[in-house]
Parts: sequence; C-alpha cells; structure tokens
Amino acid sequence: MIRTIAGATFREATRSRSFVLLLALYALAVLLSRVGGWISGTDGSTITANLVMSLQSVFGVLVAVATGTALVQSEIQQKTLYTVLSRPLPRWKFVVGKFLGLAAALVCGQAAMLALGIAYLWITGAPVTGWLAVAGALTAMEVLVMAAVSLCWTALSSPLLATVLCLATYALGHAVGSLPGLMYHLKGFQRPLCVAFASLVPDLSRFSYRDEAVHALPIALGEIVIRLAYGACWIALLVMITVIVVRRKQL
Amino acid sequence: MAEPELSFADVSFSYRGDWLNRIHALTTVSLLVPQASAFGFLGANGAGKSTSIKLLMGLLHGHRGDIRLFGQPLGDHRARARLGYLPEQPYFYDNLAVGEYLVYLAKLSGMSAADIPAACDRVYQLLDLGDLRTRKLKSFSKGMRQRFGLAQAIVHRPDLLVLDEPFSGLDPLWRARFKQVMALERARGATLFFSSHILSDVEDLCDHYAVIDHGRVLEQGRLADLMGSSPIELTGSGPKPAGAEDLPDGTWRVLFAESERAERLAHLPAGAQILRLDRQRIALEDWFVARVRAFHGAGAALPTGARTGGAS
Repeated sequence: MIRTIAGATFREATRSRSFVLLLALYALAVLLSRVGGWISGTDGSTITANLVMSLQSVFGVLVAVATGTALVQSEIQQKTLYTVLSRPLPRWKFVVGKFLGLAAALVCGQAAMLALGIAYLWITGAPVTGWLAVAGALTAMEVLVMAAVSLCWTALSSPLLATVLCLATYALGHAVGSLPGLMYHLKGFQRPLCVAFASLVPDLSRFSYRDEAVHALPIALGEIVIRLAYGACWIALLVMITVIVVRRKQL
Repeated sequence: MAEPELSFADVSFSYRGDWLNRIHALTTVSLLVPQASAFGFLGANGAGKSTSIKLLMGLLHGHRGDIRLFGQPLGDHRARARLGYLPEQPYFYDNLAVGEYLVYLAKLSGMSAADIPAACDRVYQLLDLGDLRTRKLKSFSKGMRQRFGLAQAIVHRPDLLVLDEPFSGLDPLWRARFKQVMALERARGATLFFSSHILSDVEDLCDHYAVIDHGRVLEQGRLADLMGSSPIELTGSGPKPAGAEDLPDGTWRVLFAESERAERLAHLPAGAQILRLDRQRIALEDWFVARVRAFHGAGAALPTGARTGGAS
C-alpha cells in the first residue's frame, strides 16, 4: 500500500509543472553562475563552484516546498483523497507513502541537479573533487528535511500560509546554527529559552558543507553519518506529527 | 431476514462552524439498507446526504450512534475493500493517465496484480474509456471525470456501491448508460446506495428509499409500497357511482383506496360500464416536495414578493 501511494506520488510530483519548471530554472541559474565568477575579480572558478553548490540547496528547497505544499494540500482542497482514503487504507500509510514518493522525486531532482552542476564545473575548468558529491548528499538531506517540514505545515494550514511558514523555517533553520555563539552573551532564563527555541527548529546549517567541499577540506565519515542521522530523526518526527494531524482531520 | 448491508442507528454528527458555533449536520439518522437492494437516498441540497456518506466512508469521524457495515461496526478500514465510492463532483490527480490511475486505485482496493488487467478492461468497456486510457485526467471534462469516477468505484467489484449524486454533469445519453451500468452491478449482486435529488432516477433504479431533510430521516421504506399507496382510478360510462366526477367526453371518474376496491366494484350502479381501472401514478417529484414542506414548510416555493416582483 505504502509503495503504491509512493509510486503514484512520485509520478504526480515529477510530472508537475512546478517541479519541471524549477529544475529548468536551476539549469539556467547554473549557466549564469559563471557571471558571478567573472565579476568576483578573485578566483572565479571557486566562486562559480560555491554558487553552483548553493543553487542546489536553494532550488532543492524551492522544489520541496512548492511540490510538497501543492501535493498534500491539493489532495485536501480538491478532494482527490476521497477516492484514496475511502479504500482500505489507514491514514498513516497514506501520509508515509506520500512523503516517501515526494522524497524519491526530490532525491532524483537533487541527483540531476548535482550531476548537472558538477558537469558544468568540470566543463568550465573549476576544481571538481569527490567532496562535492558529499556536499550534494548533505544538501539532499536538507531538502528532505524541508520536504517533511512542508508536509507538516501543509497538513496544519493553507497552501499559501504553509509556503510562507516553510520559507520562514528555512531561514530560521540556518540561523539556529549561530545561536551557540550568541548564548555566551545571555544570562539567567534567556539561555534556556534560547536553547528551547533552537530545539524547535531543525538546524539546517548542519547540512551545509558546501564551502568546505569547494576547497576540498575533508569531513570525517562519522560526522557525515551523524549529520544524516540528525536529518532522519527530524524527518521521522515531522512525519509523525503530520500523521497525527491527518488522522484527526475531517475531510 | 438477512443482515442489512448497511445500517445507521440514531447517528448524529456535528462539526465546528465559525468560532465556537457547532453545526448539527445529522440528527438521529436511522437507516437500513437491505442486502442486494438499490437504495435511493433522497434529499434537497444540504439535507445531510453527503455527510452521511462521508461518515460511512471514514472521511468524517466523531459521530454519535452506531453505523454498521456488512453487520460489523464501522472502524475496521479493511471492510472498505468491499465498498465502491463515487464522490460528488469527483476530482483526480491531474498528471496521471486514466490507465495508471485505475491500476493505482485497484491496487489500493486490495486487488491482486494478476486480476487488475481484466478488471480494468471490464470497466473500460462498460464506460467507453478504452481509447482514453493514456490520456491525463487534467484534460477531462466534467462528464468524463464522472465516467472515470464510476469506473474507479466499480473496478474492484465491490459488494456495496455508494454513489453520491452519480448523474451530476452527465448528458442524457450518459445518464442512460450509467443507469445500465448500475443495473449490471446490481445484477452481479452488488447493493446500490446512492444519493440524489433527481427523483426520476430513483424511480428508475431503486426498490428502497429514504428521505432526509435538515439532517433527519423523514421517511424510508420500499418504493413499491409508496407507489402502492396511490389511489385506484376507475373510469366508466353510464350511471355514475357516488363521488364520481364528470369528464368532458361524457364519461366519469372516481378515485378510491386499495382497501375499498372490492366494495366499490360490487356496488356500482346497474348499467354502469367500466372503461378503465388503473392505479393512479404518483408524481414522485410532487410527493417529495409535499413531504419535505409538510415537515419544514420551506424550500421550493418562491416568496410572494419574488413572485410578484414587488415587496412582500
């Protein structure tokens, strides 16, 4: 059942206009990234590599949010799930299948982006190392976390609000990484309050290994595993919350 | 008596409206849908038909009272493998083709992969979808979506077919075809339960009916009994019996109840000739409007001011 739902979701997601359009825009942005290298005046190829890797994150998250919010909310608003949930299918399987299908589509999208980005860097003579692939894998995990965030916000609110909340979560998620440095200056109850706030949002800076990868700075295998496991835990938590919300939802 | 296919016993349901208001959609609804029957669920817009159906399909929850499906309390989602459901104004994923979608929903209904191709071919034939199997549903008109909606509802040969306003958006040719398909499903042994406010459809297809209004079942029973309750119409010539009315062609007509039939015929005046003896046909449409108005005094009638075009 989960595989069936995931398969249909994958097909629906990869054929959606927003998915294809954002991939095309990514390709265009990668081609234009060389301009950033030219105007930087320094080591143009490194700047280009940095831009290409950052674009994978930005466009990956945009695809996750656009596809994620449209997929689930349209199910509820357009009532497409009436014909699905009226079948012998528990709602938790529906949510898990939906997420897995979306995740598979996003992983394919990320793989295509990474391949295109690395190919472009190689053609333009920018430094290409195996660490770029590691950075790409961590970015893919960041995108999957954002897909789970979008699924969760979508189940709780309208598509427009969910999109805004997802982008806010993305911004906060990258800001959370700088909180430990800020905590030195906090006193009394401010510090636990700050820790509590930080724990409510996934720390997306943990998946950012792009700068280091461009400069071929190595990362330990254990560190990669920890970061991926951190992402997996957040995904599991967010999907569980979505299941609870969808189970209680009146359709 | 066989176990009813579906039963509602004192079911009530309310949902949250604006702010703290609760809207009572159903108030003690009780229904019995016999096995292998064709059950018409009649009601005006907003009467509670779709809410009752959504409760049955597990799309709404939190009701009071007892809903039983195939004799078992509602709640076990596995029982839904024996249900087919066509929602009101069905929507489908835009980017899946007809063939892909039908296979997807058949799989979700628990059909084995080996049985699916033959099952799909059957519904393609029944609903003329064979040539459209590679077309994406976003290009479908309302009527075509309705055809696909019925196809997905019957593809797994359900025991109970629940159809919410199945004829909505169909042209006369497809209305007739839908009725044929529904009759075939019934001949296969399926129970039909469908909601409608178009009474001629109910008359054509159903043997049982229930009328719901403002979340309350006003009446239910066998359609034959309802039709059988209409008066007998006797047309004759010659000497008139008591209570007969003259017709323009010089004949007369008298109406009486079925229970008076023998006595009335035995006491006709000498020389009276019977020309025709028929049961007067009930206009189901008029009966329905009268029934609902009798309970609530609202609905179809225009306000006086609206009729005259002035202030009332």
